[in-house]
Amino acid sequence: MIKYIIRRLLYLIPVLLGVSFIIFVLFNLVSGDPTAVLLGKNATAKQMAELREQLGLNKPLLDQYFDVVKSAFTFDFGRSWATKQEISQMIIQGAYPSMALTVPAFIISTVLSLIISLVVAFYRGKGIDLFVRFMCIAGVSVSALAYILFFQYFFAYQLGWFEISGFEFGFPDFVPFIALPAIIFILLSLGPDVRFFRTVILDEIYQDYVRTARAKGLSEVIILLKHVLRNALIPIITYVVIQIPSLILGALLLENFFSIPGLGGITLNALNSSDFPVIKAMAILSSVLYIILSLVTDVLYTFADPRVKLK
Amino acid sequence: MKGSVLILGILLTLVFGCSKQNNFTEREINLVSPEKISGFDPINASDKYSGNEAGKVYEGLFEFHPLKRPYELMPNLAASMPEVSKDGLTYTFKIRKGVLFHDSPAFTGGIGREMKADDVLYSYKRLADPKLSAKGWWVLDDRIVGLNEWREKYSQAEATDYNEAIEGLKKVDDYTFQMKLKKPYPQFLYALAMPYTFIVAKEAVEHFGKEFLNYPVGTGPFVLPKFDQSSMIVYTRNTKFREKFYPSEGEEGDDKLGLLADAGKKIPLVDKINVYIIVESQPKWLSFMKAKNDMIEIKDVNIQQTLTPENELRPEHKEKGMRLFMLPMLDVAYFAFNHENPIFKNVKLRQAMNLAYDRDGANKLFHENTAFIAQGPVPPGLAGHRKEFKNPYSKLDIEQAKKLLAEAGYPEGKGLPEITIQTRNETVARQQIEFFAKCMDKIGIKISVGMNTWPELVNKVTKKQHQMYTMAWGADYPDAENFLGLLYCPNQSPGSNGANYCNPEFDALYSQATILQDSPERTSMYEKLNEMVALDVPWIFGFNRTDIYLTQAWLKNYKVMEFNHNQFQYLNVDLEVKKQLSKKF
Amino acid sequence: MKENSLWKDAFKRLIKDKMALASLIVVIVYSLIAILASMGLIASDWAKEVGASNLPPSAEHWFGTDIFGRDVLAKVLHGTQIAMSVGLFTALIAIPIGVILGAVAGYFGGWVDDFITWLYTTFSSIPNIMLLISITMILGKGIFAVYIALGATSWVTLCRLIRGEVMKHKEREYVQAAGAIGGGHFRKLFLHILPNVTHIVIINTSLQFQFAIKSEVILSYLGLGVQGEPSWGTMIDDAKLELARGVWWQLAGATMAMFLVVLAFNLLGDALRDSLDPKLKGK
Repeated sequence: MIKYIIRRLLYLIPVLLGVSFIIFVLFNLVSGDPTAVLLGKNATAKQMAELREQLGLNKPLLDQYFDVVKSAFTFDFGRSWATKQEISQMIIQGAYPSMALTVPAFIISTVLSLIISLVVAFYRGKGIDLFVRFMCIAGVSVSALAYILFFQYFFAYQLGWFEISGFEFGFPDFVPFIALPAIIFILLSLGPDVRFFRTVILDEIYQDYVRTARAKGLSEVIILLKHVLRNALIPIITYVVIQIPSLILGALLLENFFSIPGLGGITLNALNSSDFPVIKAMAILSSVLYIILSLVTDVLYTFADPRVKLK
Repeated sequence: MKGSVLILGILLTLVFGCSKQNNFTEREINLVSPEKISGFDPINASDKYSGNEAGKVYEGLFEFHPLKRPYELMPNLAASMPEVSKDGLTYTFKIRKGVLFHDSPAFTGGIGREMKADDVLYSYKRLADPKLSAKGWWVLDDRIVGLNEWREKYSQAEATDYNEAIEGLKKVDDYTFQMKLKKPYPQFLYALAMPYTFIVAKEAVEHFGKEFLNYPVGTGPFVLPKFDQSSMIVYTRNTKFREKFYPSEGEEGDDKLGLLADAGKKIPLVDKINVYIIVESQPKWLSFMKAKNDMIEIKDVNIQQTLTPENELRPEHKEKGMRLFMLPMLDVAYFAFNHENPIFKNVKLRQAMNLAYDRDGANKLFHENTAFIAQGPVPPGLAGHRKEFKNPYSKLDIEQAKKLLAEAGYPEGKGLPEITIQTRNETVARQQIEFFAKCMDKIGIKISVGMNTWPELVNKVTKKQHQMYTMAWGADYPDAENFLGLLYCPNQSPGSNGANYCNPEFDALYSQATILQDSPERTSMYEKLNEMVALDVPWIFGFNRTDIYLTQAWLKNYKVMEFNHNQFQYLNVDLEVKKQLSKKF
Repeated sequence: MKENSLWKDAFKRLIKDKMALASLIVVIVYSLIAILASMGLIASDWAKEVGASNLPPSAEHWFGTDIFGRDVLAKVLHGTQIAMSVGLFTALIAIPIGVILGAVAGYFGGWVDDFITWLYTTFSSIPNIMLLISITMILGKGIFAVYIALGATSWVTLCRLIRGEVMKHKEREYVQAAGAIGGGHFRKLFLHILPNVTHIVIINTSLQFQFAIKSEVILSYLGLGVQGEPSWGTMIDDAKLELARGVWWQLAGATMAMFLVVLAFNLLGDALRDSLDPKLKGK
């Protein structure tokens, strides 16, 4: 097991090399020269040349790539070009609001979807199954932008139930600010979640062991909760855990419209201002998380199903 | 589904109780910044919004009078206007005594010390420090004797030596210093009122190092111990602020508007300023309508929600006591041709395109008729703009346009390639070009839109990789030089002349005019420059827009100001009115 | 043939399922609109000014007019063409890459598998939105950039699914048998295994299709979408400024149009899974 974990962690190396390479190539191609933007509307050619030198943009490409790789392994991202802020500080600062929004919303939507899926799996093929599935899918068929525009106008402004925009640090101060975006988040994830969970649960329901259990006279509810759910856990865990890195990045649109100072906004700003160090940091951070979480998933398998052996 | 209803219910009850109430006891004002603030280092405060934030904490030697128009400089940290030598090159400044920096751990004992001449010289050198590549360097670039040499010398060195003497920046005593210019620079004092030249304390810069941008230590009316990059910035009154008083005179009529009610009172007049950062227009508008903010800058689509077709405040807003402020801005919005492209060397083509642009239509659609049609590069309100001058090409005349297009060698647009106009990736920018394309289609010219992030657009322009692009230039200071310079040949890309327009006759007159002090002679030269270039249509002249602000009834002493980073200390709030009106929201 | 009856069977069940049938019809209608629009037979005059600016819906203009006085219905129809083409081309790019890489990795294993696994792990560990934005930026925007960006990000899921499925099939008897009678790798993989994993491609495609349509809206909001012609994304983007002044019809038109087709693709995807997935077959 330990060996397996170490081997998987070592796998981070080639992946990070790949991520660094993709990010480096994409962004060096996109905006070869950020200096004009960084110096404002009255920049002179001379000043731009000086800044290029300072930012290390005149170094050979290989050296520049090496710098990216280095920061991927040391987590030393330096300072943002555009805001001159310390990137690690920006990330810590932005992670809180992002996660205040996404983590509760994610947990609620996952639990809710699981409950709904069990219910519809129980009533599979009946009217309620069709109706609930239809509603969940309908919910996710509306553009996020349309939800945001309408909900903000109606629930926050007209009815005054929620704050229109902004964020305050500390619980429960942030609750009125994140409640509405969280509801939109949940509406948007219910559809795909329920669809996936239901399929997984149905896959299990038709297995032989369920038939055996039924033959033994166990009630359908017990079978569902005890046997089916347990066996369905592996794909469910995979599905859930893999989504976590995207939670850290926040929900870009929601953050922008509800003025939540999170990582989504930071990323968007960085993309809009060719702020390479920040883009690099966000990409590297999320891929490290991705790898680590997929490792966590594998380890969780062994708990969910003792038959699984890690090699 | 039942589950979801249940949890939704729990969430809602949790939330109802804590939707926040407005504050009626604290003397605070609530403002909005439509752009993210990246930090508080004055030398990088290049846009209006970061300047506004820096201006609450920091101060410069001069400031614009909050009430008088046309804009008038008055001493702020300077004790008086400077003495200028006969040749106009040596300026002697006296600074105010007893000005204290904010308390900060950077100072010994944590107590802010007095600001002295050394601090001013240090702050100006810092703007030139090659290690900092300040956005504001251009205001002093090639202006001060010895400063460029100093910058040059340290650009390759490990560290910059601030102690080295510079001929053009000389301390006389603790409250007096001299600056020597290389050549006449009539806009010099304006530069010393801009956020770039705000005064900082050496101890703070050194103590906080690279984190200085998050710990503003100024001399200004408000204090912000730490900037934490959140969506809300809270300033509190600087209790040790010097004796500074609300002005007792202003423009004619200010008295009637109640703008002199606080005359002679010690400022700042409020205890707290909250600035909310709201980027999207819908939440910004809705927050104001819920009285969460005291003032909103009205842009684009919100104009229609604010004004009646007669450009008056809509009755539903009037009823809530809201007040409307409109003032023509010192700006010009235009479509620039890239004059390096041989197609656009053809003046008849440029004239034809100008004549085919339906500015009235665009004004109605995008500005609700609040903008003014630009007749040339210099906007109204500046010396150099003559009211009587009407540009013959700033009007709609399809027939004439078709004729000129044929004379240009492209009858009905035949032979002309499709022209791409580069712009920012914003909804309104896209719509404006779509509208322009419709206009050009009428004479047979095909236009397409190129959308760019800001860096991409700047790159295309500085590298001359564009056919046309859109731009709106706002004044850095109230002088036509700031606009005419956009067409001065030596300023071409990567400078501010993104059109790469070159006209030797214009250039010769420009270099003569811009070294003159403000005088009738200079004004007539500016007028000549403006009209000469207007007739040559180097751009498609668009609009001089209008600043529109809506304020709540309880916000006092507000007057639209183009260079407003010092304005907030003069604002006041009437809590009685706020309480009374709150029922209406 | 074995496959034949499976497909016929599946199709029969699909037809019986009323919701799936309705979805199929919606998708077909949208496709027809898209084809007719691309041939210039309908909504070709979307750019024409038909009335005053921002007219509310009326008998003459069902969805009202936009800021330039253009018919919103015509824009919605033209947007259908954009949306369907985004879905289609994304699929055309993603399917070959995903299927070939996935199949090769699953079949050959070893270093080939290692390499391809590494490739898709790398791609999937970078947040989608970053890849989307940077690719559209590099390619200079416009609809082709949208196709390629979405194609380049959506092959990953398919690749992973196909790889897993091919690995399973590789060990099955019929493949072993094909090997025994002298079939080469190519023959085994493409003639024997791939037809048995087609259902994954179909299900995945119907879901990717709607994802692509929704992504176009986000890209348009970021100013990276289709340029110079109306798409649902640019219409919803316009609406963000219009809604507060009471102009709701552009948002409503584009949202409704999108809602219907996305819903249809989702339901169809589910129905396809139910009828095609051998595991669920007959249950």
